[in-house]
Parts: sequence; structure tokens; C-alpha cells
Amino acid sequence: MKFLENFLNDMDVKIKKGPLKIIHPMFGAINTMLFTPGHGTTIGPHIRDSIDMKRFMGIVIFALIPSILVGSYNVGHMAGVEGLFSAFMFGFLKLLPIIIVTYAVGLSWEMIFGHLRGHDIHEGFLVTGILLPLTLPPTIPLWQVAVAVSFGTVIGKEVFGGTGMNLLNPALTARAFLFFTYPGDISGDAVWVAVDGFTGATPLAAAAASTGPAVDALNHAGFSLSQMFFGFIPGSVGETSTIAILIGAVILLVTGVGSWRIMLATLIGAYGMALIVQFFSGDVVGGMRSLPPHYHLVMGGFMFGLVFMTTDPVSAAGTNAGKWVYGILIGVMVILIRTFNPAYPEGMMLAILFGNVFSPLIDHFVVQGNIKRRLNYGK
Amino acid sequence: MGVFKLKKGHDILLQGAAERRVEKAPKATSIAVQPIDFRGLRPGMKVEAGDTVKRGSVLFVDKQRPEIIFRSPAAGTVREVVRGDRRAIQRVIIDVTADEAESFDSYSKTQISSLTSEEAKKLLLNSGLWPALRQRPFSKIANPEKSPKAIFISAVDTAPLQAETDLLLGDRTQDFQTGIDFLKKLTAGKIHLSTSSKTESWFKDVTGVEKHLFHGPHPAGNVGVQIHHIDRLLAGEIIWYISPRHVAQIGSFLSAGAYPGKKIVALTGSELINRNYVEASDGAAIKDLVTTPLDNARQRVISGNVLTGRKARSTGYVGFYDDMITVIPEVQGRRMFGWLQLGLNANSFWRLFLSKLTPGKKLAPNTDMNGEERAFVSTGEYEKLLPMDVLPVHLCKAILVEDIELMEKLGIYEVSPEDVALCSYICPSKIEFGAIIEKGIQTMEKEG
Repeated sequence: MKFLENFLNDMDVKIKKGPLKIIHPMFGAINTMLFTPGHGTTIGPHIRDSIDMKRFMGIVIFALIPSILVGSYNVGHMAGVEGLFSAFMFGFLKLLPIIIVTYAVGLSWEMIFGHLRGHDIHEGFLVTGILLPLTLPPTIPLWQVAVAVSFGTVIGKEVFGGTGMNLLNPALTARAFLFFTYPGDISGDAVWVAVDGFTGATPLAAAAASTGPAVDALNHAGFSLSQMFFGFIPGSVGETSTIAILIGAVILLVTGVGSWRIMLATLIGAYGMALIVQFFSGDVVGGMRSLPPHYHLVMGGFMFGLVFMTTDPVSAAGTNAGKWVYGILIGVMVILIRTFNPAYPEGMMLAILFGNVFSPLIDHFVVQGNIKRRLNYGK
Repeated sequence: MGVFKLKKGHDILLQGAAERRVEKAPKATSIAVQPIDFRGLRPGMKVEAGDTVKRGSVLFVDKQRPEIIFRSPAAGTVREVVRGDRRAIQRVIIDVTADEAESFDSYSKTQISSLTSEEAKKLLLNSGLWPALRQRPFSKIANPEKSPKAIFISAVDTAPLQAETDLLLGDRTQDFQTGIDFLKKLTAGKIHLSTSSKTESWFKDVTGVEKHLFHGPHPAGNVGVQIHHIDRLLAGEIIWYISPRHVAQIGSFLSAGAYPGKKIVALTGSELINRNYVEASDGAAIKDLVTTPLDNARQRVISGNVLTGRKARSTGYVGFYDDMITVIPEVQGRRMFGWLQLGLNANSFWRLFLSKLTPGKKLAPNTDMNGEERAFVSTGEYEKLLPMDVLPVHLCKAILVEDIELMEKLGIYEVSPEDVALCSYICPSKIEFGAIIEKGIQTMEKEG
């Protein structure tokens, strides 16, 4: 392996100095993925934690694996493909091109900005590049994916100064872009099942359209609570299986990469708000307002957003107290949008983006609180 | 007496603690007094290469405050005045010869108790031990023109492989008490002495101090953390602090009438074969103390501990404020798929490696950065490592945008780079918190 290491070291110098220096950010990322940079400390602390951004972001991707596996299977299953492996392969082959396009387009942008700013490609994109495909329907046209990733990366992140400086979650920015520019390909009844001409409403749409009790409408459409929990329903690839997402949540929580405060606060906010809505909607017979609170947790993108999107440390509130406010705000918003908004049955994406916009303000108040407490000390 | 149980912080468990055994070091060949040990000091030289000095001869003074003088801890010939960047003086090296000491007046207990505060100040300045007193804010040599609201002494050892206070002080209870009696002359306020359950008993008979007991992981032993909990530094206030060993040295100077010049140094770190405590000169040459052959390409020699010590090289010297040498392995090149390792032996604060399953295991990490600098991404963990009501990330951001008012409000006066060393240690983005805090302190010194 010494041979490969020397070869990489050699190439590193050649690319940095040569006409291909624009690809150096990409080369650098691959180079340090194969071998650690090997730099020693120059100032104290003389020893450093074994963690780096690759490990940190790698854990998030690892936590997404269950959702990728079950989601892929479900795409095949929904399309009527028989057999566990065949269904999985069918779905995976639908998902893979989306992932490849996301990575290819996104990494190209990252490379250009990395070159302009003189740094390597940041590992954060590796997560964005897998999160976005999982929030899309399997039938999404690939050119739209390319346009959305460009928008999410450039407008959602790079114009703010790049990774760490962005206000909004880049994956959700990209998805929101598609949602508003090409609504016909990302919402409605026709996009969720990867078979041409086949329509199937998502449980959220079915519940929203119900004229009698929503639970009856769901049961009538064939969506039992357990089916929605295990994820054998139409929907975006990664969001359907609550159990797969929860396995990912355990990984994020055990490793401490995802904030338990945000996850718990969002859950409390949503469940609490759903209880309040239910309390005041006793006489409502149909639509989302007749849905029992726990149904919200397994339907639509709620759980996927809660586990993987709200916890994005860059766009979330950064202070511990702020995380509670941020999570509760998102939880409340998602239920409000779902139950009172006539246009969209789903509210998670917009609720999180809403939370992202407010997180600097939330942090501002927490910091002001710290300042006030410090000033009052000794008085 | 206050008892403080701190929860925040983290103990890094390392191989290579020193055995509790004090030996005499072999004869010293050279020593050095190093102006770089003192934050912001610009020395005015009083000797040059070739001069003969005694133990206690003046080597240099503080250019801005010439009353602060620095004396030689050993007798010999000045070999070299080493200069670094922009000709800044780094160290004065002295080849040690037979011991010969300048003589000073000695003081009895009653004489000390009748000193006025002005007399005490003059006496300590003249002793050459004044630089042992440092101040907050700014962690530099105390300004003799100001008077502090209190003096703090930390006898709590929480840093990795930290030298243990009772061994550093040995049987010098009398000197320590004399030092305390003398320090009381320098402040109208209290003298706060913090101990841990390990060091408490050594100080049980000490009088004239307010004693405190600190429990908890590192940085509970940092004096800045203790000040924050005992008597917080408010705007415009100054406190002084000093190490227990220096208190004893002041006591010894007063009762013996000679510059002390000796201290105990702990030899630690996984790369040393013989690890114990040695009685050495102040500013001893590291190669005089360490019997293990050292190679700078394979080993990192640190004066101080792994978190806040200074890279010293094998030909270096023990720093003025340091009581230990740590020698750890130097990073040896690149490792394949480092980020994918299971990490049975990975040192980490995070729960991302298998080593977390063996929590008591002592490790021997090298100087690998384990990654490259990235944008600030992770949140919420840094706050777990600073047991103060200070938000380290927001303070650092205020420093980076040079918002002086915000820096002040967020507590720049209360922290020192050593207090955020663990934040740098755990940072997945490899941000140098200590360097940022240092930059903030320099900005405040300039503006304030």
C-alpha cells in the first residue's frame, strides 16, 4: 500500500501545480478518504480526537442505510414486483440513477467552489447527496434532479459562504425548489409508483381528501397503521418506512451525531399540537383534522425529516436551549400546515425550512440570555 | 470552604503516568531561562554570552516594567542568548558550573508579619520570583501597580498525566505556609486555595487561606474555572494566581535568603522508559533529566501536559511554569482508511469508535491531527467541556468577527486558551479554539 500512498502524494503535488488544478478539491477529497492526511499537531493540544468530518458524516450515511434498503424494496413492492430481492433491485435501480446524478452535479459545484475558495470538497455534501434522492419520488425526471441539486448547492449553500455558513438545509432547499417549480412531478397521485400510468395516492393525500373519518378513509385505501409504520405505502423513497428511519435514529442518538434534544422537541411539538388540534376538532368529520395524533408520526415525511433533516447541525439552532425551541417550532408548524393548509397535505419540508430560517433568531435570544445572566452576576 | 462538584469536562486517559518516586537528577549541564514562557514579555538583557553568573544573578528585566526582574536559577557561564523570529529573544542558555549563590536578606515569621504591602511588593519584585504571580485577565505576569481582589492557588491536578501536587511539594509545608503568610501582604482580599480529594490532606494544616474542594474531570483543575465558581471576575477587576510550587519557592527564598532554583519535575508519557519524578534545576535541560534516548522525528517532547504544554524538542528546556515533561509518539505518516477504522484503540470523546466500550482503558495516541480543518459544523458538544457559564463557540465567533463588545459580554476576560483546550481536542472540524481565544485576548489587550 506504500506504493499507492506514494502515488497519491505524487499526484497531489502534480495536480495542485498543473493545469488540472481545478480538480484538486475532488482529488484531495478522494486522497484523504483513502489515506488520512497524516498531519501532526503544530500547537497544543498535542493530541487530537480520532474523529474528523469524514467519520462524522460517514455515520449519518451509515444511519441512512436501513432507509435506503427498505425504501428501495418498497419502490419495487409498490410497482408490483414479486420477491424480496427482485423488488429491492427494481427499486434500487430506480434510486441509483437519482443518487448518481445528485452526486455528479453536486460534487461538480462543490469542486468549482472548492477551487475558488481554496479548500477540499467538504464531507457535508456526501450526506446531502444521499438525503435529497431519498426525499424524492422514484419517478422524478433526472434532469429535474440536476437542476434542483444545482439550486440547492449554489443558492442554498455556496452563496452564503459554503458548508457551515448556510441558513437552510441544502437538501430541503433543493426539494422545495422542485416542489414549487415542477409540482406535477413531485406531488399528486401519479408520481409515487414507478409504473407508467399507475396512480396511487399517499396516505396523507388520502387522509386529506377524506370526507368521513380519516382513519376509515386510510383503512379503505388499504393503509393500516402497521403498513405505514413498516413502510409499505406510496411515498418518497426514504420517507415511507418509519421503522427503518428509527433504526437510523438509534444510530444517530447512540453516537451523539444527531441531537436528541431536537428530535425529542420536534416529536413533542408535533404530538402536542396534534392533540390540541384534535381537541378543538371534535365535531370535524373528515380531512386531516379528524386524524388521531399518532397517525401523523408515521405518515409522510415527518419521521424522516425529524431524524435526518431537523438535526442538520448547520441549519438547526446551535445552542442547547435553542434546540428545544427550534424542535418544538418545527413540530407545531408541521401539524398546522398539515391540518389547516388547504393546498399541501404534507408540511414537514416547509416546517423545517421555516425552523431553519428562525434558528439564528432563536440562538440570538439564547446568547442574549447568557449575556444578561452574566451581567447580573454579583448584583 | 466551598465544595464544588463539576460535571462538565473530560478526562483523557493516557498511558505513561510517572511512578510516585522522586529521584535526584544527574548533575545539570545546562539550564535556560526562557522569555517565551511569559505571555507578551519583551526582555531587556542584562547579560551576554560569556558572562559568569551566580544563582540569583539578574539575567534580564521586563522592558515595559523594569522593576520585574528575572534571576538565574543556577550558577555558570552564559553560553548563548537564542533569538528567534524578528530577533525576539527566546531563551538564555547557561552552562552550569559549581553552585555559587547571591545572598539576600532572610526573614523570620515575625518579620514577615510586620511587612507593609509596599515593602512586600518590593521584596518579591527584587527576589526575581515576581513572575510566578500571574493575573487574570490576560494570563500574564501580574502588574505590580494594580492590586488584586483575591489571589488564587490551584492544587487540583486534572490535566492528562498531571504531576501530583503532593510530590511536587514534598515535605515543604513550612515553606508553603511562609509563602502564604507573605502573599497575604499583597492583597486586601482573600487567598483561595483549591484542592482535590487527592491533594486535600497535604494542605490540611495550612492557615490563612480560604480552602475549597473541587471534584470533577478536567478542566476542574484550571485556575480560570475555579475563579469562575469561587469569585467570578467582573468587569474591571483583577485577580492574581500562582502555583503551589511557586508559593513554596517564595517561602524558601524568604527563610533561606537565597534564590531557590530547584523544583521537582515529573517525567511522563508513553514514550519514556523510566518515568518518575526528579529533583531538577528550574529551567533544566530536558536531556539532563530524561534517560530514554529521544528522537524528534519519532517523539514529541512537550514541556507541560499534552493539552497546553509547549513543543520543546529533545534539546529543549523545562518551562518556568511547568512541572512536567511529556513525551508521546510523533505521527508517522498516513493511515489507510483512517475514517473507517473500528477504533479499538482510538482516543475519542465521541461515541463513534469501539474504544468507547472499554472506558477505563489507557491509550497512547500520537500527534496525528486525525483530519483536516473544516467549517464549523458540529454543535452542542463543546459546551459539555467548559464548566463555566460561557458559550465557547459563540465567544470564538465573536472573536473571529472582531466584535469587541460582544467578546466582552460573552466572557473573554474570564477564559484563557488552556480552558478551551478540550474544545480543540474534540473538534471534528479541527478548529483551534485556543489560538482563537489567544487572538481575542490580544485584541482586548490592545483595545482595552
